[in-house]
Order: sequence, then structure tokens, then C-alpha cells
Amino acid sequence: MSVPIDPSLGHDRALALFREELAAICTDAELQALRNRWVGRKGSWVAAFMDLVGRATPDEKRQIGRQANELKRAVETALAEREAVLAVSRRPAGAVDITLPGRAPLLGHRHPLSLVRDQVQEIFTRLGYQILEGPEVEDDYHNFEALNMPLEHPARDMQDTLYLASPRAPSGAHSAEVVARGQRPIAPQPLTLLRTHTSAMQIRHMEQHEPPVRLLVIGPVYRRDNLDLTHTPMFHQVEGLVVGSSITLADLKGTLISMATALFGEGQDVRFRPSFFPYTEPSAEVDIRCIRCAGSGCAICKRTGWLEILGSGMVHPAVFEYVGYDPDHVTGFAFGMGIERVAMLKWDVDDIRLFYEDDVRFLEQFGL
Amino acid sequence: MKVLLSWIRDFVDVPGTPEEIGERMSLRGLALEGIEHHDNDAVLDFDVTANRPDCLSMMGVAREIATAYSLPLRAEPGAGSAKAEPYISEMLGPITLPITIEDPELCRRYVAAVADVTPGPSPDWMQARLIACGERPISNVVDITNYVLLELGHPMHAFDLARLRGPAIVVRRARPGEMLTTLDGKRRTLDPDILVIADAERASAIGGVMGGADSEVSNDTRQIVFESAWFKPQSVRGTSKRLGLRTEASYRFERGADLTAAGRAMARALSLLEATGAGCRRGPVIDCYPAPYEERHLVMNPASIQRLLGMPVPDPDTERILSSLGFGVRELGGWQASMPEASTPAGQSGHGWHLQVPAWRVDVVRPVDVIEEVGRHYGFEHLPRTFPGIEEPPPPSDPRIARDVRARTGLLAMGFSEAITFGFIETAAAAPFVGDSAPVALANPLSEKFTTLRPSLLPGLVDAVGINRRRGRRDVRLFEIGTRFSPLGETRGAAAAWTGLASPEHWSGGQRDVDFFDIKGVAEQLCALMGVAPQFASTSTSFLVEGRAAELRVGDQRIGVIGQLDSAIAEHRDLPGDDPVYILEINLDLVSALAPPGTRFAKPLPRHPSVVRDVSILIDDSLSAETVRGTIRAASAETLVGVREFDRYQGKGIPEGKVSLSLRLTFQAPDRTLTDIEVQTAMNAIVGALAQQLRAVQR
Repeated sequence: MSVPIDPSLGHDRALALFREELAAICTDAELQALRNRWVGRKGSWVAAFMDLVGRATPDEKRQIGRQANELKRAVETALAEREAVLAVSRRPAGAVDITLPGRAPLLGHRHPLSLVRDQVQEIFTRLGYQILEGPEVEDDYHNFEALNMPLEHPARDMQDTLYLASPRAPSGAHSAEVVARGQRPIAPQPLTLLRTHTSAMQIRHMEQHEPPVRLLVIGPVYRRDNLDLTHTPMFHQVEGLVVGSSITLADLKGTLISMATALFGEGQDVRFRPSFFPYTEPSAEVDIRCIRCAGSGCAICKRTGWLEILGSGMVHPAVFEYVGYDPDHVTGFAFGMGIERVAMLKWDVDDIRLFYEDDVRFLEQFGL
Repeated sequence: MKVLLSWIRDFVDVPGTPEEIGERMSLRGLALEGIEHHDNDAVLDFDVTANRPDCLSMMGVAREIATAYSLPLRAEPGAGSAKAEPYISEMLGPITLPITIEDPELCRRYVAAVADVTPGPSPDWMQARLIACGERPISNVVDITNYVLLELGHPMHAFDLARLRGPAIVVRRARPGEMLTTLDGKRRTLDPDILVIADAERASAIGGVMGGADSEVSNDTRQIVFESAWFKPQSVRGTSKRLGLRTEASYRFERGADLTAAGRAMARALSLLEATGAGCRRGPVIDCYPAPYEERHLVMNPASIQRLLGMPVPDPDTERILSSLGFGVRELGGWQASMPEASTPAGQSGHGWHLQVPAWRVDVVRPVDVIEEVGRHYGFEHLPRTFPGIEEPPPPSDPRIARDVRARTGLLAMGFSEAITFGFIETAAAAPFVGDSAPVALANPLSEKFTTLRPSLLPGLVDAVGINRRRGRRDVRLFEIGTRFSPLGETRGAAAAWTGLASPEHWSGGQRDVDFFDIKGVAEQLCALMGVAPQFASTSTSFLVEGRAAELRVGDQRIGVIGQLDSAIAEHRDLPGDDPVYILEINLDLVSALAPPGTRFAKPLPRHPSVVRDVSILIDDSLSAETVRGTIRAASAETLVGVREFDRYQGKGIPEGKVSLSLRLTFQAPDRTLTDIEVQTAMNAIVGALAQQLRAVQR
């Protein structure tokens, strides 16, 4: 591979050959071999050049001698530099290859829905809310009737309900207490269902506590929906309820817009617009500017530029009457938001089913 | 509700592009769902909320737009002529058509008119408008009923007069078992909960829902009866649900039609009939209206608006908005305004309004409903952003939340990722986990996959492990914290599943698969974190491998279970049977009830050194470690503070049926440094007891 030693090639060619050979050097041993081949006392390139000087005519001697010395100097300098480089990468005795992968203790990953839940909880804890959970199996009274949705109410169509095969006695001590407060008695509940919204917990809480109320309820809710890109028969909701002597729609707007900004970022455009729910009056929905198209119109926002994220409103006087609050003396607001929807918008997830497959490759994208 | 912009402009001269109108109306309560552009025209699709049947029409939407833009609203062509018409209750003259309402609660008004018609297609302009709004043109007569429905929101129907026996119209409840073939060709069995429009003999239409095929207007029809009626919402809704039949008519009637609109709709239909040359009225309009509409009145004051909205609305704006929406607005003096519901705790001064609610606003019942109208048309964008004041600090949060966070943090730190699975599962998947109690079944499950409320978190987790395995991932550690259901109620549990390697793969080697002691370690850590120290007792359950299953006991309560998933279940859930899956589940509610309450004080660190002694013994391998530990503890003084197995060996050099067990014993006293002699005495007692009681041989 290496060219045989031949000083007749001349100084320039010899130096070029040396640089080629030097470039291929990786280890100390190779470097030593190269040193011997080029500047060794005997049989090296430099030695061969020196022999040439000895045999040269006086005229040539001076020039060849200078070239031989220059070659020697250049080679030695280059070898020294290379030696220094190799020395830096050389491992001291007992050292390990620190570039090998570490033995990482396994850490679990948080579910994105659980992360959103915590974020919402944190926002409202900061605003002084009590965080509650409620039963997932509910009765018709708490889930619908006391929320101003009697049996034949068309708004029930908005929430297709899953019922239990065998009805259950209503849980909680609501009836006796409300009756004791002189409110309308509650009929026995033939229908036991999976709560279709966390609003059922509003009623349970108000039945048992006098105002003021300032609470947040988080948990799973159930609807008779088929699995598709945007629907699952179970999803998670967060519900807020504030009741006091002077709660206003402006308070609701302030609260919800600050929540939306906290969830989606300071620059997020948010709007608060009228809507309808049987248990609030006036009712309002909150939209954010479409995350995908920033308002120019796309399939996600159905070309409207806005994405609805939650429903809300001022607690309907009829609801207050059901739980024995006097609507002439208290007002309140309530809101409900789907956790999945927020997570989908926040992380640009286009298939809600991913949240329920628990594919570790999906979960690993979210931190602790 | 799809509205055609040019049709809207028949009633209000609204400026701007469809997009601008859509955006503005979204802020006024009609949320834009989409826009279709046509030549010089557009269809705006508005989401009309369930409380606003009056907006299920061009006129209704135009009224909202007129209010939102402060523009005048024009009436429909021919409006007003209806009022001049002298209604009579029975038609005399050339045709006799007696009309009887047998159930005036379910049908409060029935307006009818007979017309001579020449069947044919309706004019192009009418067809174009119907198509744009999603209706299929059928014939000139039918198209007129649909046109009026879309324009004024009031459903109408046309019968072929020749097909009505009598001829007569009887509005009555269906007879038990009465049959009717509806316009969609389906033969339906009716019952007395269903209101029908019958002729002298039999039902010819389902009131407010759909007409009958027999009396359908056809090419041979020469005379028709137009119907414009009012049906009770609950009745129409019940009928529509029971028959599984939803129509444009039932959709409007079940939300509440305008009782006063029946006459206007008839007048409009008759004028369209003549204007399009489809036919002309014969005889007068019959109006059966046993109990006329009673006007509804409310009183409201500006203070109540501010109290609820948190912003003042100038009186002229309130008056303009309500008048434009059709309210009769009359100003009241100070004392008159302070009616009970309109009053506010702060300040009764000032004036108020006496309001007459428009007949089409079936949703406006209380003053708060009017405040909503004022608020939404004044604009929620004018609301300041304020925050509710804290009157008293809220009580503490549900303690389950912090507890669940603690369990979650522990499981995450032990390498398990958080899973969320559905609360309902297949009956077959639930069966092995149900135990002694009955499963909680759903009455109306959507599919076979979601029939039973989960009795345990494990079936869902096992399926999640299965999904990961099928997608090529062998090492899976998942946990879930969630609700389990039984006939006794709901409990919160924490469950985990572990399959594949015990520790992540590494170039240095030393990998092995997860085994029983890995999952037991997780259970021990988790329980310690939750404040309980359970006993592990062997158990036998249908979902765990015999001999690799343990239940966790605190006192006489079973708080959880660990073990290797039964391979038949694993295979049944599509998991490879040869890779073991280890699982654990604990009842968090029970654990919190059993964990000792109160503050735990920090223990001072020991002042005197401890002494460690190892002992290796040869014993029968049928003896459990717990027995050995128990024997040691029973034989030692209280200076023994720790016993830990550090080696267990069977194989070469150990006789068959024996095991070599090595234990590390720690001795310590709180008040002194133990002497060698003390420790040796203790060791002698221990070794003696092991030899005597367990026939252990010291090695």
C-alpha cells in the first residue's frame, strides 16, 4: 500500500506521500510505525535522503541537504501535532467509554388527558376553587331533571344516555335534606344512568351546601356515541360552578377567557358568544381561533375560523329552585369543558381514539 | 338551519358579505356552521339552538339579523290580508267540510282551506330556493307547503280532498291498532297516544309528523285541503320518538310552533298558490281555534340586567333590541318596575318596562330570558372581564384527588406509564374479574364491546397491553387509576400490568423477564406510599396462575391482589401466552380507610451503632420465608431490628428437597452500644430455635 522509499521522487512528492499516510493514522501504534518509516535512524525516508546527500556532487549537496532537512522538520512537526491529538482522545487507565448509553432507570409517562386535567386543576386552584369528584353512576333527577331538563325536554337529545340494566336507589342524602328545607319532594328515581355530564355533581353539591359555592368537578362522563375520529362513548369533562350574592356574566367571561389563555397561550384569540343550555340563562360558548388555519378557514373549523371549546352560562333560576336556593338572592355561573377536545387542540391530535388505545409510543411523547 | 341570503334579503336589507354576516350573527347567538357560495348568492348554515324554533325559518333568522344590524324588518308578501279574512268554523256552499278537534289540548288550532289545483312542477325560482335550502322539489302544491315552512317556519300539509271520506276532518287520538301507511311508504300501527288527522272513517295523517300515502297529493288531484295547525310539542315529540320518524314538521312542532302563525302561514300559502298559477282558493278559510292565544307579559328593570350581566345596558338599546325582536315594550314608573322577580337587592329606584312577549318566542318565560335577549344583542363583546369575589374561602378539595396523585407519582417513578381505558367492557372480558358479585350491565349498550361496567381495571389494562404487543412492543408497563363498579357502588382502584423485560435493555447485559417478585415489589412500594403494610397471602382466583397469586391483606380486609395473569385469559385477549403478564390491583378507597390517620412524627436517628450478623441455614424448601422470619423474631430479644433474606440457593451441593437460605440480621439498642457477647447470645438463641423448630442446619 505504501510507496517504497525512493528519494529520487524528490522532496515535494515525498512530503505529499507522508501527508497521505499520516491522514490514515488512528492509533498510537500506527503513529509509531509511521515515525519509524519516515524519520527512523535507518531505512527511513529521511535516512534515504541523507544517504543521497552523502553521495551527491558538491554542487548538488547544498540543495539536496537543505531539502532533506526541510522534509525531516516538516515530518517531525506533523507527527508531533498528530501525537498531541491522539493523546487527547486517549483514555486514562480504568476509564470507561463515556459515549456508551447510560443505564436509565425507567420512568413512566403521563397520559395527556391527565396532564390537561392537572393543568385545569392548577388554574382553578389558583383562582380559589374547591376541586371535587362525583359519582359516575347517576340518577335521572341529578343528571337531567334538576338541571331543568324534564323527561320530554328536546335538549335531552343533545346527550344520548346510557342506562343501567337494573336501576339503583339514588345515592347520597340529598332527598331528605332538600325536603327538610321546604323544597319540592323528589320522586323515586326509576332511571339509573351513567352521567352524561359532570353537571350532575353541581346539583349534588348545592343540595348539601348553602352558598357561596366555588367548585370544579373533573371526571369521566358517558354518552351513547359511536367511536370515530372525534367521539368516544366515554370522555372527560371539567365543570365549574360559582354561586354567590353578586356573580355576573362578566365574571364568567373573565374567568373563562383567562382559563383559555392559560391553556392555549397568551396570544390565543378567544371569543365569548351566546348559546343555549337548558340549565343556564343566559348561556354562552367560548371559541378559540382555529389552531390549524389561524382563522383563514379549514376543515377542522368547518371554514368558520373558530373552534368551540366549552359551554357555560348563568345558572338558570329553575336550577336554583330545584336545589332550594333563592334566585332572588343568589346568582351563579357554570361551565363545562371536554378534556379530550382541549388535548386534541393543544397537541394537534386528530383522532380521539388515540387517548384510549394507550399505545406506549403515543404516551411516551408526553412528559411526567 | 340553511338560509339563503337572497331570501333573507326579501325581509331585511342586510349589507355585507356572507362571511361578515355569519361572523356577526355567531356573536349574537346564531352560530355559523358553514357557508356554501352560489352565483351572487350564498347559503349560510346556522346552528339554531333547541330553544329557538322561531329561528327555523327565513323570517326568524331575518328578524335576528335585523336586530343585530338595527335594520327594519319587512313582513312577508300577503301578510295582513290574513287578518282581514273573516274566519268561519265550517265551510258552507258548494263544498261541505266539517272540521272537528276532538282533543283541543293536543291540537289547539286547525286552519284549513280548500283549493282547486292544477298539479305540475313549481316555478323555477321556487325550486331553486328549495334546493338551495336542502329541500327536494316535488310538485307545485307540495313545494308551496315546504316553501312556507322554510319562509315562516310553520309546517303545513296538503290533502287530496277526493281521498278524504266524508269529506270531513277529525283531529283525534288514534284508535288502538289503527293502521296508516305514511308518505314514506311505511305501514305503521298506531295507538291512542298518537294524534291523527282522520277523515270520516280512518286516519289520513299523523298530526304534526307526516301525512298518509293514501291522501297524498298526486297528478290526478283536482282539489286539495291545505292544513295549517298547531300541535302540542310533548305529544309530537313522543310520537316522533316512538315511530322513529323525524320530519321538518315534527322538528318544529316538538320545539314549539307559534300558535298565532297558523293563519299567516295559510294566507301565505294561498297567495303563493294563486301567484304561481298552481290553483286558487275555493270558499273561505276555516279556522278552528277553540282557545285563542293568551298574551304573555313580563316586567323587567335595568337594574336586573346589570345584576346578572355585570354591565349596564343603556335603556335606548334595551328598548330598541326588544322592540326589534317583536316584544311589545311599555315603560313603567319606578314602583311598577319592582315586581318580585325583577327586583334587585340593591336599589329599587328607576324605571322598568312592561313587556309583551311575541307569540313565537316560546322560550321566553321569565325575566331572565329577556335579559339574555338584551345581553346577546347588546353584545357579549361589551362585557368587561371581571372575576368573582371570594365571599369565604372554599372548603378543601376531595381528598381522593391528592391521594390518587400520590399513587400515580409512585407508579410513574416505578416505570409505569399512565393508561386510561373505557369504563365499560365486554361481558366476556369482565367475567373472570367479577368475583362473587353480579356484573353491572348496561340496558342500552352501543355495541357488544361496551356492555358491562368494569368490575376491575385489569381487563382494560390487559387489553391495552395487548394493543402494544400486537404493535410490536414487547416490554410494556402500564397503570391506571380509575373507578370500578359493582352492585354495591363505585370504588377507586389502582392497577398495573407488566410484561417483557424487568429492566430496560442495556449493552452491559443482565436482562431478565419480569417475575412475581418484581410485581410484588411494586405492590410493596405502592402500599408503603399509601401508608399501609399488607400481609401477602396465597390465593386462588380465576384470572391468576395458581401458585403465582397473592392477595394483600390489612387486618381482615382484602385490599388488593397481585400475580401472573392466567395464560388462557391472556391468549383469549390476544396476548402471546408464553410471555407472562404480571398484574396488580389495589382498592384505593379501602387503603385510605385503613391507613392510620394523623401526622406521623419524624423518628430521631439512632444514637448507637448497629451490629450485623449473617446466618446461612439449610431447611426444607417447603418452609416459607415468612415462617423462618417468624421463628427468628420469636426467638430474639428486642435488640433484633431487621431481618432480610439476602440469598436463596438450591442446586449443586444442596440435597434434594432442601434449600439454603441466608439471612442478614441487624441488632441495635436505642440506649447503648451492643456488646459482642449480647449479640452472640441473641444469635445463639436464634440458631437454636431454627434448629429446634425448623430442623434447620447451620451452614
